[in-house]
Amino acid sequence: MGKHVNITIDGRNILADEGRNLVDVATENGFFIPSLCYFENIDPPLGTCRTCTCKINGKFTPACTEKVREGLAVEVNSAELKDMRKGIVEMMFAEGNHICPSCEKSGNCDLQHMGYELGIAISRFPHLFKNRLIDYGAKRMVMEHNRCIKCLRCVVEVENDDGKKVFSYQNRGNETHVGVDYEEEKKLTRDQAIQAMNICPTGAIIVRGESVGKPFGERKFDEDSIRPDYVKPVKSDNNIDLSNVEKKRVATVSLAGCFGCHMSMLDVDTEILDLVELITFDKSPLTDFKKFTQRCDVGIIEGSVCNEENVETLRTFREQCDLLVAVGECAIWGGLPSLRNTIPLGECLEEAFLNCVTNEQGNTTIPYHKHLPKMLDRIYECREVVKIDYFIPGCPPDAQHIWKAVKNLLWNENYSILYSEFKYD
Amino acid sequence: MSKTITIDPVTRVEGHGRVTIHLDDEGNVDETYFHIVEFRGFERFIQGHPYWQAPNLVQRLCGICPVSHHLAAAKAIDQIVGIDPKDLSTGATKLRRLLHYAQIFQSHALHFFYLASPDLLFGVDAPPEKRNVVGVAVENRELAVKGITMRKFGQELIKALAGKKIHGTLAVPGGVYKSLKAEERDTFLNGKEFPDIDTMIKWSQEMVDFMKDYHTKNRVFLDTFAAFPSGHLGTVRTDGALELYDGKLRAIDSEGNITLPDVEPDDYLEYFSEAVAKWSYMKFPYLKSVGRKKGWNRVGPLARMNICDYISTPLAEKARREYFEFTGSSVNNSTMYSHWARLIETLHCAELMKELLLDPDILDENDLVREGNERNVGIGIIEAPRGTLTHHYEVDDKGMIVRCNLIVSTTHNNDAMNEAVKWVANNVISREKTITEGMLNQVEVAIRAYDPCLSCATQAMGKMPLKAELYDHEGTLIGEKTKN
Ligand code: SF4
Ligand code: SF4
Ligand code: FES
Repeated sequence: MGKHVNITIDGRNILADEGRNLVDVATENGFFIPSLCYFENIDPPLGTCRTCTCKINGKFTPACTEKVREGLAVEVNSAELKDMRKGIVEMMFAEGNHICPSCEKSGNCDLQHMGYELGIAISRFPHLFKNRLIDYGAKRMVMEHNRCIKCLRCVVEVENDDGKKVFSYQNRGNETHVGVDYEEEKKLTRDQAIQAMNICPTGAIIVRGESVGKPFGERKFDEDSIRPDYVKPVKSDNNIDLSNVEKKRVATVSLAGCFGCHMSMLDVDTEILDLVELITFDKSPLTDFKKFTQRCDVGIIEGSVCNEENVETLRTFREQCDLLVAVGECAIWGGLPSLRNTIPLGECLEEAFLNCVTNEQGNTTIPYHKHLPKMLDRIYECREVVKIDYFIPGCPPDAQHIWKAVKNLLWNENYSILYSEFKYD
Repeated sequence: MSKTITIDPVTRVEGHGRVTIHLDDEGNVDETYFHIVEFRGFERFIQGHPYWQAPNLVQRLCGICPVSHHLAAAKAIDQIVGIDPKDLSTGATKLRRLLHYAQIFQSHALHFFYLASPDLLFGVDAPPEKRNVVGVAVENRELAVKGITMRKFGQELIKALAGKKIHGTLAVPGGVYKSLKAEERDTFLNGKEFPDIDTMIKWSQEMVDFMKDYHTKNRVFLDTFAAFPSGHLGTVRTDGALELYDGKLRAIDSEGNITLPDVEPDDYLEYFSEAVAKWSYMKFPYLKSVGRKKGWNRVGPLARMNICDYISTPLAEKARREYFEFTGSSVNNSTMYSHWARLIETLHCAELMKELLLDPDILDENDLVREGNERNVGIGIIEAPRGTLTHHYEVDDKGMIVRCNLIVSTTHNNDAMNEAVKWVANNVISREKTITEGMLNQVEVAIRAYDPCLSCATQAMGKMPLKAELYDHEGTLIGEKTKN
């Protein structure tokens, strides 16, 4: 090294050490390029995830595989590139069953973190809900194949003291998965196993007994963005005079959710008393209106769609509300209830009503009645049933996040969602 | 997009809980049903997952009492890693208890102020526009602010302990994540950011007094409305005191005779069975020894007041004695007394929170997690705000969950709520040709007293949408009413 070269990033001239990694140089100069497979000491970089795709000398190229050299012209922040990178990460979420709330890595997960940095509330691709193996065969770890993004980090990096690889790629294409060599894995020390867990950018490699990391708020990606250009908080949340605005009607509903999102709305505490000066609640579990009394400005939807009644309710909301806001993981992509999507419905019913240990002997039946709505074959996210206008992720979303977004939709009030308020778990 | 959905013939239904009332030739009530229309299947889809995920996964059953599910699952998972409740460190136990009391406190406050108080303040016949927390706030802002602030206190304490107000994490297998820091603890004692714990005790006391007063003015209503005999189930300490976190299971019949004599929660399978009805996704648990017909129990505040010998904190104990002076017997079978009992528990939890907040053990950072010899079965029972909650897991030698059984509190109250609906149907609706809005609300008032958390079995809240239908003896629908 030693030699300085001139490059441009988004038109800005930058002097850099020749041969250095482009992602590093960009970051040092205040340009955020998301990366996932790129890892400190893996050289040459893997280039497997494509999250870092930029336009380099006019061609779409993963930035992490690029070394800085004279005359490099890099485009990072065009709308097209930003959208492309976002799409790549969305694809990863859609491809696996990333149920953040139940994941040991949550808060310390690189994939989740990239989702936050890119502001991903929803995936534009349908979720596959594949039923992949959770492999308990290894001694120290559990391999959660649903969460693997096939970045190859573990395959190239993890070795035991004999210098033997522990992980390998198996199968091809769509069917590729990471296999664990149980024999070699056994020889890992506990620290080496933990190291392997840390190398994995998702929660695919879980070390037994290390299943929970740190409390909320103290996790790696809880508080601050790494992006230099991450939205700064708008000074005041009340930057329009709310005393002068027109009163609006809001309806809320809980479909297949846990009511946590409704509870979160109430967590603005006494602020709710100010809000009700501006908002009238129409149909909602919080009021006694069982049907819409009139058209509403906003409908807030919690929960996914699991039976025909949910379908009907959701359609009514679409008809009766100008805007629909899906609040929480369940409404957005199925959340916890969607764990049932990898299992035949019949099995779920049989387990609860026929096989359950406390059920009456010889007197079991699966409920079926004209007053019970028919269940759907699987859990559907709300937007598969009706058009949804706005999505607020989280399980549940932060109270402030919900109300800032709703106020913005109702009165165009400016707001910024703090990095710490934007979560998937 | 909806084209991709496979739906069996759609029948028009609304809401998550549903009541149907069937009349005979003379217009007398023949059958009534409180249908639970939602099913999720946790028991099945948790299988295959590692056991340590359970406390976080299953708390998503419910956003109103997630802590109860988190802790019941944690108690079960403790056993899987070889730790019985007595083996947990003192600090870990106290931190979990504090979390639990904060949760009951906030949940009871939520129920009373947001859901139940409109009926009590405005009467069961009040117009629906008024019957909500907004109505309460308009009429009595001070009361509303107190209620909201009480809930906030509980939620803030939960956040301090578990990192988040809803679906936080405190418990880990064999212990807790962390202790409280002195500065965090002080927020609840110094009243700088929000009213302190002494204020919570004072306000809880005021609510109990409000209820006493209400009782004087509405005694007949409280005594008779949806009153019926039943068994009562809950947990008690070895000395018979009310115990919400880790007690023995006790049940009594409607007269106070013991039907379950302070047994170990771990043995619950010996005593309980669940019936299934084809018209509801919620099961009907009962005591095997007493039988399906009479063996079902009410759970929750009313039941807990009935089964315990005393309450361990002074103010709540005093309130309990006054309560029983009025009820006149050792067992109270009147549905509406649940509200009063709930407020006594709110006071009890406030007192318990104070005890623990002043206890240095909650600041101790040492010995937070313990290890034992792994086992394959774990059973955790806790008194959730709404009653006895059971989590039971079986795992294989690799740590994979192979079986899960949950009996959530509201499920225990399934028979009781159906009984309450029947009572209102028989006493209010029977022989009436037209159903009024007020009558329907009374059906709800009866159900609401149980603070049913259908989120656990379904996902509705106290004021779940209801649709009442009137059938003649041939089963033809002759009247139908949904309330607006
Ligand atoms: S297990 Fe983790 S490190 Fe290995 S390929 Fe999958 S995501 Fe990458
Ligand atoms: S997103 Fe989370 S909090 Fe909201 S309903 Fe679903 S499980 Fe509950
Ligand atoms: S970070 Fe560059 S390809 Fe993955």
